[in-house]
Amino acid sequence: MAAITEFASNRALILARHRHLKWPGLDWLEAVLMMLCGICISGFTLCVFFDVVTREIGAPWLWLQQLTTGFFAWGVFIGIAAATRRNDHIYLAEITKTMTGTKRKVIETANRVVVFAVAACMAWFGWNNAMLDMGSFRMPSLIPLTVYTISVPICGVLVMLFAVEQIVNGLKNGYEGPEDHELDLEMKI
Amino acid sequence: MNAPGVLLLMAGLFLVLGYMGVPVAFAIMGGVLVATMFTPVSMQSMVGQMFHGIDSETLMAIPFFLLVGELMASADVTQRLIRLAQVLVGHLRGGLAQVVTLFSMFFAGISGSSAADVAVLSRTVAPEMDKEGYDRAFTAALIASASTMANLIPPSIMAVVYGATGNVSIGGLFLAGVVPGVMIGIGLMIYSYFFGPTGQMKKRAKLVEVFVAARGSALPMVIPVIIMGGILTGWFTPTEAGMVAAVYILIVLIPALRPTHISKLPGDFMYTGLLYSLPLAAVAGASAFGWMLAYLRGPDTVAIYIGQIAGTDPIMIMFLLVCLFIIVGDFVDAVPAIIIFMPIINKLTQVGDINPVHMGVVIITTLVFGLITPPYGLSLLIASKFVGVPFYRAMFRSLPLYIVFLVTITFTVVFPEVVLWLPKHVLPESVGCFKSPSGTGYICP
Repeated sequence: MAAITEFASNRALILARHRHLKWPGLDWLEAVLMMLCGICISGFTLCVFFDVVTREIGAPWLWLQQLTTGFFAWGVFIGIAAATRRNDHIYLAEITKTMTGTKRKVIETANRVVVFAVAACMAWFGWNNAMLDMGSFRMPSLIPLTVYTISVPICGVLVMLFAVEQIVNGLKNGYEGPEDHELDLEMKI
Repeated sequence: MNAPGVLLLMAGLFLVLGYMGVPVAFAIMGGVLVATMFTPVSMQSMVGQMFHGIDSETLMAIPFFLLVGELMASADVTQRLIRLAQVLVGHLRGGLAQVVTLFSMFFAGISGSSAADVAVLSRTVAPEMDKEGYDRAFTAALIASASTMANLIPPSIMAVVYGATGNVSIGGLFLAGVVPGVMIGIGLMIYSYFFGPTGQMKKRAKLVEVFVAARGSALPMVIPVIIMGGILTGWFTPTEAGMVAAVYILIVLIPALRPTHISKLPGDFMYTGLLYSLPLAAVAGASAFGWMLAYLRGPDTVAIYIGQIAGTDPIMIMFLLVCLFIIVGDFVDAVPAIIIFMPIINKLTQVGDINPVHMGVVIITTLVFGLITPPYGLSLLIASKFVGVPFYRAMFRSLPLYIVFLVTITFTVVFPEVVLWLPKHVLPESVGCFKSPSGTGYICP
């Protein structure tokens, strides 16, 4: 039952797991992203709360719904970026954890190259989308759609950065780590 | 390349990348983006589809149902529910196994997440089961099987995703999920009673103890009332009901029952903020996949195949879909599976003239089964890791429990009138009933 202690450590601002794949210089970014995750879900909760309250008292703040959508969408894409650095995404299989040596290095690197390529598409095409959305507005607050959709390319850039970080460190230090034998499925729903 | 070729490439690439160890969301998008190169569709619009996939008011319920589960688990308020389950069924044969199942039924009414259920039970009841000599493989199998009820008994995240993507009443899906959810619970209890380990026999709790345990868990048990009561009375949408439940935990439950936990709340929020992005990342990718599938007329192709075998017989169509989703659920996570296959489900719902809520519950019940089947039985994977037993051993011990799920799925398919009884009487509009022109009662198709 020692694995259960992991339940608490998953809540850490900077995850100790996979330390050998991380540059200490980017730890602040992980911490900031985690804080932003907390801010997004807190803001999102408050928005829905005030949306209900103002509606019930007969004076609805219609713009709250736009703010809610903003917190929600930004929360998702910031979370995707944070989960990439923390290796917390949902996986179909983690076959690489049972591998060692060159074989593991090749497959783990290939996996991260795929992540990098998808993130690059998110960054480039997402940016183009966001620029196009400058001309579209959300009613009734007339907020440009870009305010929401810019979260996609920003997420793409962050994921690219973390993929490069893991590739460089993985090639240098190897991908194997002590956590391969520990519990890290807690996060996966 | 022709459309079936592109479809095969997209699906094949997703599975290959996924099983190589690429995160699900990126594996799906990888498949979609490569397939897009062989179509006139622009990459830009497919990336845009990722955003539009999550830009849905209904999906906003997911963070709240996760937050509720995480707050309850993290603050250890769930101990009170376990105590209630213990005094109610702890004296039966296989007492702790019964407790696991009954607690899961209680917890399913509060949280929409199987993972939170597995985490709570593995931390609390599993060590006790270990002491009483229960086989660890059985413990893991039972915890995983019982946790699946979180996706059937409302609130259910799968129902939210299904309702949001398929334009089906979420309230209706919530209510219709009660029958299969409770059936799985009762089935597991019956199995544990007759075929499970005996455990240590305990005395039946005195009425006073039952009363004390019920009083102790009264505050947490208000949560299902808030969620379902709010939705059924029309006061709240599912998203708002989830928010009210979360606020109730923050303002009433934690200060009253676990005031020392207040300082840890920022951590809970940050963690849940990260946690909710994981299924929604898969939703974002899967919605692009589903869009491309529909563009390539995949639903028509599958509908033709299934139509050739089943004709328009609704039961046959549903059984074929059950077979399809048992296979799909073995390999793919439930949330992306729902979104990817929604165009096909919608098409076949029309072909068989099936009630959309009924179809939804059949699909969700089948996908729930996938949480304990290899190779991608996520609940079983988590439970076996937590309990500390090899996955294959937990899987073998869960094989007899599959019967409970298969009986429930068959019942759900064959007896729509039982499954839809609750929504028909409590939320008639959700299953297509409309008000009688005479003004009294409803007319149901």
